[in-house]
Amino acid sequence: MWIVLPAYNEEKIIHEVLREIQSAGYNNIIVVDDGSSDQTFEKAKEISGVTVLRHKLNRGKGAATKTGIEAAKKLGAKIIVTMDSDGQHNPADIERLVHPIENSHCEVVLGTRLLNPKGMPWQKILANKIGNLITWYFYGLYVTDSQSGFRAYSRHAVELINTKTDRYEYDSEVIREIYQYKLKYTEIPIEVRYTEYSMGKIQKQGFINGLKTIYKIIWNIIS
Amino acid sequence: MLVSIHLYQIVIIIISSVMIFHGTANFFKHKDNQTILKLAVRIIIWGGMVTVAVFPNFTNFLAKLIGIQDNINAVILTGFLLVFLLIFKLLSAIERLEQQVTIITRQESLKDIETNK
Repeated sequence: MWIVLPAYNEEKIIHEVLREIQSAGYNNIIVVDDGSSDQTFEKAKEISGVTVLRHKLNRGKGAATKTGIEAAKKLGAKIIVTMDSDGQHNPADIERLVHPIENSHCEVVLGTRLLNPKGMPWQKILANKIGNLITWYFYGLYVTDSQSGFRAYSRHAVELINTKTDRYEYDSEVIREIYQYKLKYTEIPIEVRYTEYSMGKIQKQGFINGLKTIYKIIWNIIS
Repeated sequence: MLVSIHLYQIVIIIISSVMIFHGTANFFKHKDNQTILKLAVRIIIWGGMVTVAVFPNFTNFLAKLIGIQDNINAVILTGFLLVFLLIFKLLSAIERLEQQVTIITRQESLKDIETNK
């Protein structure tokens, strides 16, 4: 199993996040530095045993995640887990996330924040619900958290899923691929730690990026 | 009965036919993720333009419907269609370039994995 973390300007927290994952017993980690303007790449390199790749240009979370998945495929991964690199996801949830794939029940497992949204800001809950509805309307499948980055995929699933979008619409595009290829999936509640740091990142990705994501989803349909 | 055809009608019919043909061909070749929904939107937009070009009286109905009746509408509509076409092509080109930049960036970053294998 390989864990993929797309990272953009996470120099303050990347050490801590990687050490926490390793402490949880996972050593196959790929970090994709998505053209950060800070020291994210160098900081991640300092942690031994971690494969660190770098996008020379910032291409977006979706593009970085796909690069990490491609790398994991080349390294022979049978199961691939994607998670955010800002520390909001708890590595203790990885075991529950990969369990349905290990037992051959599913091809894709979606971590969902909305089955147990305790501590989640209401604005975030509302934004997610709107995102779910838009994803359902345009891509045909309703899931409880279409924007979650904490997911697990079987090898078979990543061989089929072929995303083209680069930024935050990537998460919704994966839902479309699940629907299109009729992949067996399940949703598992995950813990999300809304620290001051991760909340700062969320605010930066807020309303305007939400509108951009909607525009990109619609554009991908009409173009 | 003699039917007069204007140049703008021919141009719109040709452009719309090409766009609809491309969309349909891509759909049947399963290219560029061309789904039935994308094809439907394409046919509605470009088919709508052909309808207006071939049956100009349709604009009278449209003008009545939206409440503006003036010949200048035709000029504005033509201009709007040309600008729309230009924007559509530009955005498509930008999107294609963005995807190519991402592919090159990805290939470059995966070189380390290839060499370490």
